[in-house]
Formats: sequence, C-alpha cells, structure tokens
Amino acid sequence: MRRVLLAPLMAALPAAAMAADAEHVVEARKGYFSLVALEFGPLAAMAKGEMPYDAAAAKAHASDLVTLTKYDPSDLYAPGTSADDVKGTAAKAAIWQDAEGFQAKGMAFFEAVAALEPAAGAGQKELAAAVGKVGGTCKSCHDDFRVKR
Amino acid sequence: MSSPDPPSPAVETVRIWDPLLRLFHWALAATVVLAWGLGKFGPDIMTLHFYAGYAVIGLLAFRLLWALVGPRPARFSSFVYRPREILAYAAEAWRPRPSYWRGHNPLGGLFIVVLIAVLALQALTGLVADPDDFVNVGPLAASVPSWVSGSAPGWHELLGNLTLGLVALHLGAIAFYKLWKHEDLIRPMLTGRKTVRRG
Repeated sequence: MRRVLLAPLMAALPAAAMAADAEHVVEARKGYFSLVALEFGPLAAMAKGEMPYDAAAAKAHASDLVTLTKYDPSDLYAPGTSADDVKGTAAKAAIWQDAEGFQAKGMAFFEAVAALEPAAGAGQKELAAAVGKVGGTCKSCHDDFRVKR
Repeated sequence: MSSPDPPSPAVETVRIWDPLLRLFHWALAATVVLAWGLGKFGPDIMTLHFYAGYAVIGLLAFRLLWALVGPRPARFSSFVYRPREILAYAAEAWRPRPSYWRGHNPLGGLFIVVLIAVLALQALTGLVADPDDFVNVGPLAASVPSWVSGSAPGWHELLGNLTLGLVALHLGAIAFYKLWKHEDLIRPMLTGRKTVRRG
C-alpha cells in the first residue's frame, strides 16, 4: 500500500528538485550581478562626477570587478533557468539558443573590465572613458539577452 | 466663367505656415529620426542619442508655446477639433480632390495631438529610464521609484516603435493627398504658402 502511494511521489520528485535548483541558480545569478553592480556603481558615480574621484577606492573597486571576472559563470547559466522556465529572472531564452553570441558579449565585458583596472587609478578622465566602455558592454548584452520589464 | 463639374471652390494662395513653425517641423523631423536611429543602431554609449532627445524636448516646448502665442494656424484652436468635426472630415477625406484646408485639417490636427503626446511620453520615459548599464541612465532616473526607472526602458522602446509607425502614417497621408487628392502638402511646409479655401 505504502509503495503504491509513494510511486507517483517519487516520480514527481526529480521535477520538483529541478525547479528548486533552477530557482537557486537564478538567485545566485542575480547575486553575481548584484556584486558586479555593487563594485561598478561607485566607479560609474565617480566617472559622472556624482561622487568625488578617489584613486585608491577606484582601484579597489576595479580590482574587485576583475576578481569577479575570474569566476567561471557557466554554472549561473544552467539550462532551464531562462525567463521562460522560471519566475523572477530577465534572462532571455536566447542566451541558450545563441550561446556563442552570448559568450561574445560576456567576453567583451571581461575585456572592458580588464582595461578598467589600470585606468581606474590613473585619473578621473581615464576612469570615465573606461567606465563608459564597460557600461557599453552591459547595454549591448542587455539589448539582446535581457527581457525588458 | 462657365460652371465646371464639380464646381471648384473659391480658393486663394496665402501664407499658412510661419517661418518658425516650418523650421520647427523640419528640425523635429531631423531630431526624431536621428534620436530613433541612434537609439536603434547607434553606439552603446548613447551620448548622442541623449542630445538628440534633449533637442526633441526643446522643440516640443517651443511647439506648445507656439500653440498658445503663435500665429493663428499654429494655435491649439486651429488643430484641436471636436470628435464630430474629425468624423465629418474623415467621411469625405477619401474624395479625390484637394481639401484646400486652411491649416491643419481635423484629421491632421488629431495626428498632431497624438504625435505630440507620444513624443512627450517618449521623452519622459527616456529621462527616467535606468537600463542597468550605469552609463545610459536617464538624468531623472534617480528621482523616480525604481519600478518606474526599471520599466521605463521597455516603454521607451515600445514608444519608439510607435513613433516609427506614426512617421510612416504621416508620410503615407502625404502620399495619399499628393497622388489621390492632388494636393501637395510638402511645398507649403517649405514655402509656407498653400492654396486654401477663401475665407
């Protein structure tokens, strides 16, 4: 009797587990970009003159961003975690359909961040130019791979 | 003079569009096209798109001022018509003869109202848009709740497509007047002079 009851439950388990996993992946992915925003936000503010330029602080934020680019983000893009699959994410299914194009956008971001590190401490003007380039790579990827709210 | 069939209305060629209004029209056309093109295909750092947008805002402000204090054909009273007048005009607009209308006809007036409203919304959503890229953030994005600044880019894009549709409608209407109604609406917007019903 117990076995009869359990059988459908067991069958349903993997699906439930996967849904939970997808939600965790989405949570982690958003956490990753929260970290990116946390480090990049002050740099953008300094670039725009909304915050006084501080070479040491700028260098530290840029170096943290570089550290974030050392993390291999592929786990954050596990299949089945697009906006079509899970709630609470703006990740377009196109990320998985056009993985090559998505990776190219990611690489452009990584390269712009690499160029940001030496520029950050070199002066406000240098920082502003490098910040602009990084922000441009954000936009370029959002245009193609992020759902507009 | 023998009476032609259909009887031709008594018409005169007079200056309808003042120089500033004409300058406004072509400047708006140029800046809207520029802003749209830069937004769609321009650089990822959208400084030029922002400038084009600010120019559109300045032009809209001028047009609203001109609708209050400008020459008669430029005023609100000359292009805001009652729904009944709009329907009456639409009912006969298909006829293959010139309207000889003095200024904005009722349908054209409706179009102006819609276009200005859409462009104003377009400007507003642009000013408050936060596309999460830190460099293309609207100057007023920080002054609105984040759900507004966050959803503004989507509306901004939608309204951009709507603007494209309105421009296509505008050009289509001009072609319709030229080819079907044998009335040239382009020349008056260049020279200011239009053949209109006497009155």
